[in-house]
Amino acid sequence: MIKTDVIIIGGGATGCGIARDLALRGIPHCLIEKGDFAAGATGACHGLLHSGGRYAVSDPIAAKECYDENLILRRIGEKCVERTGGLFVRLPGDSKLFRERFLRSCDDIGIPTEILSSTKALELVPNLNPDIEEAIRVPDCSIDPFRLCLLNMKTSQMKGGLIFIRHRVTEIVQSHGRCIGVKATDAATGEVKEIHGNILVNASGAWADLVARLAGCEVPLTLSKGSLVITNHRLTDMVINRLRPSSDGDIIVPNEAVCLAGTTSLSVEDPDALSTQSAEVDAIIGEAGRMIPHFHKARIIRAFSGVRPLLKSQKMDSREISRGFQIIDHQNGMYSIVGGKLTTFRLMAEKMVDTIMNAFNLKHDCETADQPLDGQEELSGYPLSRRLADMKNILCECELVSRGRVENIIRETGTRHVGDISHRTRLGMGPCQGGFCTFRALGVMHDMEILTAQQSVQSLREFLQRRFRGIRYALWGDQLREEQLVEYIYLGILAMEKTRERH
Amino acid sequence: MSVIEYDVIVIGAGAAGLTAAAWLAQQGVSVALVTAGEPTACLSTGCIDVCSRDDQPLSGIAGLPDEHPFHLVPEAMLRQSIEDFRQMMADMDMPYEGTLEKNRRILSAIGAFKTTCLVPATMQASPQSDNERIHLITFTGLKDFYPGYLLSRFSNASFSAYDAGVSTTMGIAAHFEDSAFRETFLLWLERQNIREDKIAFPAVLGLESASFLLKQIESRLERPVFEIPTLPPSMPGRRLFNGMKDHLRRRGGVIYWNWPVVGVEKSDRQIEAVSTGAQGRPNSLNARAFILATGSFVGGGLWAKRDRIVEKVFDLPVFAPENRDDWFDQDYFSVSHGIGQAGIVVDDAFCPQGSPWNNVFVCGSILAHSEALKNGCGHGFAIATGRAAARSCLERLR
Repeated sequence: MIKTDVIIIGGGATGCGIARDLALRGIPHCLIEKGDFAAGATGACHGLLHSGGRYAVSDPIAAKECYDENLILRRIGEKCVERTGGLFVRLPGDSKLFRERFLRSCDDIGIPTEILSSTKALELVPNLNPDIEEAIRVPDCSIDPFRLCLLNMKTSQMKGGLIFIRHRVTEIVQSHGRCIGVKATDAATGEVKEIHGNILVNASGAWADLVARLAGCEVPLTLSKGSLVITNHRLTDMVINRLRPSSDGDIIVPNEAVCLAGTTSLSVEDPDALSTQSAEVDAIIGEAGRMIPHFHKARIIRAFSGVRPLLKSQKMDSREISRGFQIIDHQNGMYSIVGGKLTTFRLMAEKMVDTIMNAFNLKHDCETADQPLDGQEELSGYPLSRRLADMKNILCECELVSRGRVENIIRETGTRHVGDISHRTRLGMGPCQGGFCTFRALGVMHDMEILTAQQSVQSLREFLQRRFRGIRYALWGDQLREEQLVEYIYLGILAMEKTRERH
Repeated sequence: MSVIEYDVIVIGAGAAGLTAAAWLAQQGVSVALVTAGEPTACLSTGCIDVCSRDDQPLSGIAGLPDEHPFHLVPEAMLRQSIEDFRQMMADMDMPYEGTLEKNRRILSAIGAFKTTCLVPATMQASPQSDNERIHLITFTGLKDFYPGYLLSRFSNASFSAYDAGVSTTMGIAAHFEDSAFRETFLLWLERQNIREDKIAFPAVLGLESASFLLKQIESRLERPVFEIPTLPPSMPGRRLFNGMKDHLRRRGGVIYWNWPVVGVEKSDRQIEAVSTGAQGRPNSLNARAFILATGSFVGGGLWAKRDRIVEKVFDLPVFAPENRDDWFDQDYFSVSHGIGQAGIVVDDAFCPQGSPWNNVFVCGSILAHSEALKNGCGHGFAIATGRAAARSCLERLR
């Protein structure tokens, strides 16, 4: 049995932020995540560090929080935030009244704005629709959510925090009506670990109600599915928003070599049964294409969906529900933290840990807003110059990732999962979506004796199924061509479909 | 603009186009083949899949759905076309083994068995079951071949790694064309003290002289040697393509390389010419008949728009599942994705249905309902339909 003070369930931005905060305040803790870090809503979002502009009109409190956190993250996460700046563009027909309210609200909250003529906006972002009426500049930024989680966990790890990823909490251990621990099953081995702690934090996002029920509690949530598409080019260097009340497909965010556009908003029941619809993909491209016409011709390399865990409300349209967050004290040693946004994850963690410190009757102020994120140099450190220097033995041609780099990560992390390599290097995130390089990366893992021969084949099968779920709804044009080639390789040349009979 | 005249223009340099053009050239027809670039055939295993859904290719074909275009090729013509192919490749010093009576298996780089009909001589000794004892030769740092995958099936196989100083299949294959490299390698190989019955290589045994090289290794090591096809770029695919291409040239066929078709000149009932954008100036290629062998999506013959599928050269009517959601199944490994049905529907003369042109013939994987992956109808299907379409074309010319 493992003993600690605080058990965090969930390895999204919130859970990882709580782990870092606890680490900096010297509280022993353990984080349990059923998949990989950022596997839920954190990893399925735009990667937008909001200026707050998006919520200025509808939810000024959330907007203020966003702006404050935007300033903090730009400071503490200098190397993992890209200061792109953002534009709210007004298209012909968009309400002028909304523009006035937007400017007034931003002004009230303190979000700096600058009104740009269409000419000036086109100078900044040449791909913009030349018909725009005007644009308003705000300090939006882009951030890599995977990297953000890993950086937060780095601090936790340095301070001795325990981390169990790919462990599913199957039971909450109770004694005299209080939650005293959890049982977690290792997905790879089936081994069950029992971990005891004084406080349980349920930071499992869309799964919060399912986790709370293990202790006989409830977390009333509205689950809202949002879908996004990724282009294989960076069509804009700034975040582009539509200057109108929130709607489908009105945000485009550049991230590394690609752009993400979305989202949609549809109520769902089950966070584990998500599927993207072709109609959503078409709707996003249609709307994004009104702001950046090239979207209609761009290659869409992936379409995917995430679930926003929103606090339950009577409001019919989930877009109207506050993006604020809430801490629920279940009065039995367990707290659930729900709602919020990627941008405000640090603030949520701070409030959560303040609550924990109160419960422990300890005093130690939060330091997460002042200390730079640990490990930034290392994680943000695979710049193009080094990729090019490594050119000799490239495993992933799309993103220029060398065999040496892959071997180093396997050695450092001992990972058995090709996704862990992707999150650290972008391996497999380019136009072929891992079609060539995953075969290679898993082959390297076997060479290094991390995986057995059978496991390499099995992992490749699973990867191909997962990959297909991500690309299936965006297959036409060049992307369909590429997909037919990849299918031809795995099924025509390798006869991979015949490996099934053996497993 | 330059204007050049031929009897027949073949568009596409895969197995279908090359077969059609070579056969026409042999009949004394003036024929030119235009291609936008290297064909998909270069990416293939080099094996000739006729119909892999059954142990016997012929009964496999007999069991195909009624709408399958293989039914348009009479059995005698299929036999003749495969026989001619074997003869041609033997003439080019790249002999193929196998028979239409029975399919065989080759070992894939993932440790699975792929079913096919004819194989290049370098794969003749490929094991037919996982009881055989094999020794794997790998190359240090080679990025497209990993012994681990093969050990998943041949758990007792042993292997040795040779450092050729390069990490690509193409690079190693080029080294094997150098006799000094070969000799050093062979000396190393002899020192490996191999005890297993067969020696397996990733398919890197030279660009052109693979069958010579194979014999050399077999005689020095005194046991059978075989190649395992790798991820593209694939040496056996490239050898196949080069062999067919050189054969066509020997027969007097002309190949316009890197000449993508960019325009079409037509009258009411006929295509008169295709124009190509190459070498910085437009060229018009006039002909009495045209054979379309541009392949499906990878080859570039078909193009998927968001709401429909189009044929790229003549804008012929395309059969396809109407709704984009029906193009793909949920299961990646299903091999019967709806998109496999997409293509051109033809009549018994291989003329496209629903099109006004009476001098266009279509063959190869662009044909509708061929479902190449599901049915294992690969190069063998391309060769047979290429031959059949060329025959119809010749009848029309006379």
